[in-house]
Amino acid sequence: MVNTYEETEVAVEKRFVPKPLDINADIAWAKINKDILRSLERPRPIFWVIFIASFALFLVGVSCEVYQYQTGLGVANLNNPQVWGLYIATFIWWIGMGHSGTLLSALLHIMHADWRKPIYRYSEAMTTFTLLTAALFVLVHLGRIWQFYYVVAYPNERWTWPNFQSPLVWDATAIGTYLTSSLLFLYIGMIPDLAICRDNAIGIRKKLYTFMSLGWMGTDRQWANFRVTYLTLACFLMPLAVSVHSIVSTDFAASQQPGYHITSFPPYFVAGAIYSGLAVIITLFIVLRYTFRFEEYMTMPILEKLAKLTFAAGMVWTYLNLIEYATTWYGNDMYAKQALIYRATGPFAPEWWMMNFLGSVLPFALTFKRVRASIPVMLFMSIFINFGMWLERWMIISPTLAHGIYPWTWDDDQWPSFVQWGIVAGSFGWFNMLFMLYCKIFPSVSMYEVKEMLHERRFFKSTNVATARDPAINPDLAVEGGLAS
Amino acid sequence: MSITNLLNNWSFYRQKRPYQGQYDLNRQYSEYKWAMALDLDICTGCNACTTACYAENNLPVVGKKRFNQGHVMHWIRIERYWDENMGEFPEQGASFLPMMCQQCEEAPCETVCPVGATSHTNDGLNSQNYHRCVGSRYCSVNCPYKVRYFNFWNYPSTAWPAPLPDQLNPDVTVRTKGIMEKCTFCVQRLNEAKSRARTEYRLVRDGEVVPACVQACPTSAITFGNIVDPKSKVAMMWKNQQVDLYKDMQEKDNSVRGYRILEDLRPFPSVMYLERVRDMEA
Amino acid sequence: MSKSHMLALFSDFDQASEAIRDLKSSNFEGFKLDDVTLKSPIEHPEIEELLGKRPVYVRIFTFFGALFVPLLGFLFVASSQATFLLQPKGGKPVIPLPPNFVLTYEFFILGGVYMTVLGFFISAKLPMKRNKLYNARVSEDQIGILIKAEDAIMPAIKDLFTRHNPLEIMGGDN
Repeated sequence: MVNTYEETEVAVEKRFVPKPLDINADIAWAKINKDILRSLERPRPIFWVIFIASFALFLVGVSCEVYQYQTGLGVANLNNPQVWGLYIATFIWWIGMGHSGTLLSALLHIMHADWRKPIYRYSEAMTTFTLLTAALFVLVHLGRIWQFYYVVAYPNERWTWPNFQSPLVWDATAIGTYLTSSLLFLYIGMIPDLAICRDNAIGIRKKLYTFMSLGWMGTDRQWANFRVTYLTLACFLMPLAVSVHSIVSTDFAASQQPGYHITSFPPYFVAGAIYSGLAVIITLFIVLRYTFRFEEYMTMPILEKLAKLTFAAGMVWTYLNLIEYATTWYGNDMYAKQALIYRATGPFAPEWWMMNFLGSVLPFALTFKRVRASIPVMLFMSIFINFGMWLERWMIISPTLAHGIYPWTWDDDQWPSFVQWGIVAGSFGWFNMLFMLYCKIFPSVSMYEVKEMLHERRFFKSTNVATARDPAINPDLAVEGGLAS
Repeated sequence: MSITNLLNNWSFYRQKRPYQGQYDLNRQYSEYKWAMALDLDICTGCNACTTACYAENNLPVVGKKRFNQGHVMHWIRIERYWDENMGEFPEQGASFLPMMCQQCEEAPCETVCPVGATSHTNDGLNSQNYHRCVGSRYCSVNCPYKVRYFNFWNYPSTAWPAPLPDQLNPDVTVRTKGIMEKCTFCVQRLNEAKSRARTEYRLVRDGEVVPACVQACPTSAITFGNIVDPKSKVAMMWKNQQVDLYKDMQEKDNSVRGYRILEDLRPFPSVMYLERVRDMEA
Repeated sequence: MSKSHMLALFSDFDQASEAIRDLKSSNFEGFKLDDVTLKSPIEHPEIEELLGKRPVYVRIFTFFGALFVPLLGFLFVASSQATFLLQPKGGKPVIPLPPNFVLTYEFFILGGVYMTVLGFFISAKLPMKRNKLYNARVSEDQIGILIKAEDAIMPAIKDLFTRHNPLEIMGGDN
């Protein structure tokens, strides 16, 4: 039976009931440019206040590091056997946060999830800066920071190389790959927006944007290449992000220390990374939405989706956490079991139980619509979830080292000194500084992709993609062999 | 070139160690393998070995405060354990265990060092290259015995005030802050003995060289030697106690006392302890 | 017979695609569809398809990057392990395979990503100099059609564009 044109049209319309869009479909495109470019303009005084506060915090960290550099790691109150302390714990925490930005962006791009578009840019920038912050801790924890380059594989006249068997070298390779790749991913995705900035900027900024946008004109050849490149990069970055934190977890899983030597660590670390990363994306979402008045782009439906995703990631993390305890308990390995009991009942017990509460119980609040719809509550939730995840990393590092295989070396009473706390605080200042500078130099919301988001909807409404692409209806296309979908 | 090198020597590069017969006098791999036997039934816990080690290896004395902080540098330590139910005379329940680097054949610390500062020498020692060490402390994390000591402070500038540097052993370097160190089996003595023997076209004789701790032990609880030489005292002790360097979790007769600590982790330590293991649960 | 450029700006995307469809069905002398360039604020797969398939070479770079960089990486790691024959470590072989596979995997990603980006720059001819016929509004909300054609047929093309209500037509006059 052959349908008439109108009948088909109605059928197609019925089949393709449009979902509600996450942002208002009627925003003028020029307004998008204007709104987002406004965030690059001269900041309010409060920006400088926060920036200087962050810088001061960073200086606190720097002075602690200088003191430690001069005196030795003893001032950090690290000891044998507690040799890592907060440095490695905070390192894992920062690097874990960096996973959600790129992973989320790449995954949702591959899955064509529209709601990624207004939030992916700042998430990727967050990834880059958290990685840079994490890299600081790799340096800070070294005993001889001035010889860190021994870890890098560079040719030299003595034919010495790093030890490629060491998980730390895998770490360095993986983090180096991840940092440069996610930086490239961020940059490539930003080129069309840099062109917009270039078209609107004056003075020295014009030069910067002209240089960085590489003469982008939005021609169809450029767009076609861009599309392929961006998708390919996303396909590479997703497995990369998973591999990076798995490799970080092998620092522990590949060692013999009971409490580290756990097979489920790689997925556990990845889940924890995504979880804390989503929480920090929510925190920054709320901060940017408020500071730059991005209410029209960072809308509540998107926040709600993020909250749901956070809950899902939290449940994955909870499951893997519990399964770690369960396998340790039923595996009945003497050393591992003791380490677990020590964590739950020893001197670190308050932190350990708090970590479990914040990581596993608190996210259940996200099942309530009223929680997800309230911005102050979400801000509170995201910060406390991240605090819980920081505790988790600390609870992996310190109690485990304190209670190893060899009973004579058990050591309960190590507490991080002010040097460690100062450097941890300094890392926040460093991250804040970088992120604030980024938000003032580069657009933190993707302009062209928000337009794409609107365009898809508008195009759908006006011409109806499905009808236009049906060769039975559109004879032009039948000759061409139809449009590739 | 490298690829040719890889192809030609592939089986050598893929060789796992220790393999049966890796150390033998025909010098397939090495004619030396230093090993120790430590009789806990003879040890009185007098700490002479520790003192000798401090003198020989230029170990800094850290003082009470830093000891409590956990920054002590004793390469060989006397561990005291107390039996709980000794009633009227609790001090009778003390038992001692001198613990130093076990020079494992499959040392967990070696694989994890990011810069390759610690590796295995031909004569079966677990070497530590101070110049290469960057101080990531991963080796210490992965050492099941926790016998690696990190220089948390800059000891050369503080531990030996003015006249004291004169008493330092010139054969051994002092270590700066930020690097890892550990028992070397007094490698400076071993190397000297080896080169002296080489100039005389012979192998090092049994008893010709001993580490400082062995030398100082008043009860001769520690025996040291080249386990490759079947006539050496240490080799005979290992054989009598049915402890085989290349094996783990060995089945032994009830009459022997020899065991290696944490053998079930398969690090293949080079130090055998002699003591009837009584508490089978621990 | 000199060639010149003309840029027509449209705010209505349907009009722009209609204009391209007309250009396609017209048969001006010496005019090829390859001389039509679309300039748009966002990607328009639906209009690009009207313009015919334009070659994208990025994937070739990706393929070779993802194939050869890991191979080279493995050889690099293995041969440096062989030359750095200080001593064996931890009883493991001098060239242990599991760690080297981990590193090879990272090299695979590294090669894939870097060569993709390189391929993007080469295939999209970036960085390039912007030609004069560029309007900042293209990056905002308008779509531009850039034509390179013989001077002789320029007026005809201009007529064609005018039929589709362009906002502005730049260049092509002389």
